Amino acid sequence: MLRDLRRALSRERVRYGAADRTLFAHDASVFEGGLSGPICFPESTAEVQDIMRIAMQHERSVVPRGAGTGLTGGAIPLGAPIVVAMTKMDTILEVDIANGVAWVEPGVVNLDLTRSLSELGFNFAPDPSSQQVCTIGGNVANNAGGPHCLAYGVTDAHVLAIEVVLSSGDVVTLGSVRGESLGLDLRGAFVGSEGTLGIATKIAVRLSKNPPAVRTLLLSFSSMRDAAQTVSDVVAAGIVPAAMEVMDREITNAVENYVGAGYPRDAAAVLLAEVEGLEGGVEIDSQRIVEVAQSNNAKSIHRAESEAERALLWKGRKTAFGAIAQIKPDYYLHDSVVPRSKLADVLESIYEIGARHDLMVMNVFHAGDGNLHPILLYDGRIAGELERVHAAGAEIVRACLAVGGVLSGEHGIGVEKQPYMEEQFSSDDLDHQERLRRSFDPMCRVNPGKVLPEGHSCADIQALRSIPTGVWG
Amino acid sequence: MTGPIDLLLDPEALNGCVQCGLCLPHCPTYRVTGEEALSPRGRIKLMREVQDHGAPVTKDVLRSFETCVQCRGCESACPSAVPFGHLIEQTRASLVREGISRSALMRIALKALEFPRLLRLGTAFLSIANRMKLIPKQLGLPARLPVRQPAIPSTGQDVFLFTGCVMDAWQRDVHAAGARVLEAAGFGVTPTNELVPCCGALHAHAGLSDDARRLAEKAIRGLSGDDRPILVDSAGCGASMKDFGRMLDTEEAKAFSERVFDIGEWLANHLDRLPEVAPLDLSVAIQDPCHLRHVQRVHETTRAALSPFVSTLIELDDDGLCCGAGGAFMVLEPAMAGSIRDRKCASIERSGADVIASANPGCSMHLADAGVKMMHPMELIDRAIAAARA
Amino acid sequence: MTRAELAPTDPVLHSFAAELGDRGLVSIAGRGTRWSAGGEIAPGVQILRAPTGIVEVSPAEMTVRVRAGTLVADLNDALAEVGQRSALPERGGTVGGAIAVGEDHLDVLGRGRVRDSVLQVRYVSAEGKIISAGGAVVKNVSGFNLPKLITGSLGTLGAIAEVVLRTNPKPSMSQWLVSCDADPQLSFNTLYRPSCVLWDGSRTWVHLEGHAVDVAAEFDGLRHVGKFEPADSPPELPAHRWALTPRDAASMTSVEGGDFVASIGVGTLWADRPQAATPIDAALNVVHQRAKSLFDPTGRLNPGRAV
Ligand SMILES: Cc1cc2nc3c(=O)[nH]c(=O)nc-3n(C[C@H](O)[C@H](O)[C@H](O)COP(=O)(O)OP(=O)(O)OC[C@H]3O[C@@H](n4cnc5c(N)ncnc54)[C@H](O)[C@@H]3O)c2cc1C
Ligand code: SF4
Ligand code: SF4
Repeated sequence: MLRDLRRALSRERVRYGAADRTLFAHDASVFEGGLSGPICFPESTAEVQDIMRIAMQHERSVVPRGAGTGLTGGAIPLGAPIVVAMTKMDTILEVDIANGVAWVEPGVVNLDLTRSLSELGFNFAPDPSSQQVCTIGGNVANNAGGPHCLAYGVTDAHVLAIEVVLSSGDVVTLGSVRGESLGLDLRGAFVGSEGTLGIATKIAVRLSKNPPAVRTLLLSFSSMRDAAQTVSDVVAAGIVPAAMEVMDREITNAVENYVGAGYPRDAAAVLLAEVEGLEGGVEIDSQRIVEVAQSNNAKSIHRAESEAERALLWKGRKTAFGAIAQIKPDYYLHDSVVPRSKLADVLESIYEIGARHDLMVMNVFHAGDGNLHPILLYDGRIAGELERVHAAGAEIVRACLAVGGVLSGEHGIGVEKQPYMEEQFSSDDLDHQERLRRSFDPMCRVNPGKVLPEGHSCADIQALRSIPTGVWG
Repeated sequence: MTGPIDLLLDPEALNGCVQCGLCLPHCPTYRVTGEEALSPRGRIKLMREVQDHGAPVTKDVLRSFETCVQCRGCESACPSAVPFGHLIEQTRASLVREGISRSALMRIALKALEFPRLLRLGTAFLSIANRMKLIPKQLGLPARLPVRQPAIPSTGQDVFLFTGCVMDAWQRDVHAAGARVLEAAGFGVTPTNELVPCCGALHAHAGLSDDARRLAEKAIRGLSGDDRPILVDSAGCGASMKDFGRMLDTEEAKAFSERVFDIGEWLANHLDRLPEVAPLDLSVAIQDPCHLRHVQRVHETTRAALSPFVSTLIELDDDGLCCGAGGAFMVLEPAMAGSIRDRKCASIERSGADVIASANPGCSMHLADAGVKMMHPMELIDRAIAAARA
Repeated sequence: MTRAELAPTDPVLHSFAAELGDRGLVSIAGRGTRWSAGGEIAPGVQILRAPTGIVEVSPAEMTVRVRAGTLVADLNDALAEVGQRSALPERGGTVGGAIAVGEDHLDVLGRGRVRDSVLQVRYVSAEGKIISAGGAVVKNVSGFNLPKLITGSLGTLGAIAEVVLRTNPKPSMSQWLVSCDADPQLSFNTLYRPSCVLWDGSRTWVHLEGHAVDVAAEFDGLRHVGKFEPADSPPELPAHRWALTPRDAASMTSVEGGDFVASIGVGTLWADRPQAATPIDAALNVVHQRAKSLFDPTGRLNPGRAV
């Protein structure tokens, strides 16, 4: 197989050394136990087709991979599949202003795309906190969100068409840049499928106009409850800000150590709210947000005074996960979404659960969407800590589901959250999800063992995971 | 392939990485290859595998470590403050100790840096040989090396101007310009010349830590008994001398490091002493040397010092990504250095600048070789002052 | 939580599931406004109606839970009372019908796509089971995106019983404008976020929504584009819907055999005759057919109709 792959690509672009296989067995999640087969770096759709066909001939599975910043192990290879690293397909193919789209290869980095569009007055709206590194292909696969998805919607709303190589090796284009596409929305089904339906090789993204006016408010509160209530009240008042992000005291301090953006270090919670649009409305809405915050006992209210200050505040918010190692070497992250009106209550239970398990919990989250990111900190070198993290995590997930929430708002299920799927969906529900998956990939050759839990995933997860991970194989 | 090796890395520093990947786009080798093994996160992971899990140092592992430009773009991008620069230097030092790094060979080459006269003589020879096209192109030597340049005269006792090794041999005109600018600001300049033959930066990067320490001690001795500021017009040398305190961990070394300033940093603090002259009618883009931006983190001062002297200052749009020079990197990894440079050149092209200002000789040579018009910020300031006087 | 609790408890849904059962050819009728979409229903098919009623309106969450047989008009009235609105088009039909067809509102630029507004779907499967897909919150990537597959599936994969939709605050001002001399594309480019820009070959309509100051500012910005005047409503739309690239829609000057109205920046065009059909790609058709046979192995749901 290696020989076939090398003939199809080139020697240098097919790796099988121990070093590469170790590296590609991981992503940004804490999951251990991946096992990588050969790693391919295709440079064209045709090469991806070749890889897919060779995999089929040799009855191997494949796993697409972008920048490897996924937080649930979506890109982690199970059972030694071929890893298809899309990072060398990173060309912006065409910016078509008249049709309001850009065609890009999947390895294009999110922020690079937005930057190159900005001269033309446009942007790609989804802005995950990892946008400086994650790829558009990864965004599509995970249906990534970001702070500014509150007003504009997540990746799904900004992807018009996707060229996909199916497990059969055939290329299809899902969706279209023509009008609204009626009929089965296979494009919509593909977005968020975590690389299990095929490999995206070309993506048409919608161009969004840059807003003429932006106001950024930094609000601080002496209790998390007040901050959460402010968020809920703002939306209830009929205002849809571009973004509303909350950080608690601990994470704010870690972030401030790194960026020095002027985040208040003593507040129990800070709320970063941004309003975008036309000058008049932006002024009215930001004023109303200030009033809502005041009525919820805001401790301080500050408006970013310059573009530089605004950029620094966002840099702080967006590097929050990375800053955690200042406090503890490892973290486990949840991604539940709860109804906004339940935010304050749920946050209280989360801190309580952490305390009960003697774990440090921090919260930094997309508050406007009710998308929580409870972070459980631990040190993997200390025996027993990870077990406590999992126990607390399960309780947190249940607390969120109990108020009508969901398991994941943007990071996906991958391998880390699979067991929780059964807490949210019935067996029949999961069975129908599997049918969707099989519609695209009947033999489950693309990214097997992900998303659906044992018994519903068409692959035998135990078998995939139990292969010994002889590190330098 | 080797047996288990202890890289002697600080476990806390190594564990500080949460594998988030936020550093990847700031790494030039990842940027041009898209390969995890050539990224900071990948390199740290491999260090862990070698140190904690006894993984052998295979050809691929060695390639991962040796292709690092040591620009430390990853370090200023890392929200968890992983000290990558020290990790990679220590890794290389351990590999040299085990005799499995080509750095051992470099030791011989770098020896010459300690003998300035020899270096100048060698340079003249190389220059002629190069012009006669006797030197293979992939060696990455700058196209035009000087044959002979006049020495920098001593003009007073206010500040030291660090002259160093390669730079003194290859770009002495930059020192001359820096000295004139300092004089225009009323500072009498003592060139360090033979007092400090070499700062040892290249040795430290190559993992030749013993040599690096020896040279650091020599430098400290050479300029001891004195507390005059030591001004440096090469970002790499400045960064290395500012690190003596940490490396040697002695009071004397710390005191020495405190005295070291980048020349732009110094002038930015003494702007009022510089003459007010008409700015040069040029649009200048600043190329931040990595060791100024990511290590010394004083790159803003270049802007402050330069802006009164040129009509337009432009920022490049690549977040200070490395140009690929990396000291000896451009000679050892010419292909990679070339692709990294291509990215930088594309950014320079987009900027539309007339001239690129860089405060590091390595970057200047590397980019000039690709046809970019390069000047040291001191040369620009010097020229503006000279134009006003003429 | 145990698995038994995960099944919806609403008895109305259960009786709908029981009615649909697990055998026999069935079709769900809405109000028949788009009854012929996807082809005529085969003879001898039992026609059912989906349950009706608005279960819960949550303006603070910007969501509504509504049963599929409810009229879109009734839904919109209920939402208006709490200052919200939906993305569903007001063509007189039911919520379930609108979602099964998947057509967007004329103001899609302001309201968002129908497909993006369906947060959760509960449908009855060909086996007569109630399936829950998606979640009742505004952001969700837990598992495969079945709501996307069901929206626009013309009832061929499952019978929609209940949905949770994302709603939006009703803007404080709404203003239609019309011009006889404005270039439609230039009008679109000049505006920051119009809700709709239409073009019929000679006139350009613009729909502005939002804060009064913003609407006034956008109106003012149009002065350089053409002479716009307030209009009461958008033009009449011809019956057939075409999908074009936005560029082609904007450069359309006439459609053979009648009038047309094109939506600028979107690419939908309404004409008096149907658009020439484009054949579906063979590899894509394989996926379509496989989906149909996996979700409805015996072909009992909406026989005769194809997506
Ligand atoms: C610091 C940090 C902050 C983050 N913040 C956010 C945030 O705000 N919002 C958010 O949504 N996520 C966030 N994430 C998670 C992550 O960055 C996103 O999920 C991102 O979209 C993953 O992109 P990637 O290129 O790294 O993909 P990878 O991690 O490489 O892969 C992710 C999934 O996509 C699949 N995939 C990749 N490329 C393709 C392709 N071409 N075709 C098919 N499938 C493919 C993979 O198989 C895998 O299942 C964050 C992560 C970090 C480390
Ligand atoms: S070095 Fe820092 S930025 Fe890079 S992956 Fe590790 S923690 Fe993240
Ligand atoms: S020092 Fe530079 S080349 Fe080395 S890993 Fe860091 S960013 Fe990459």
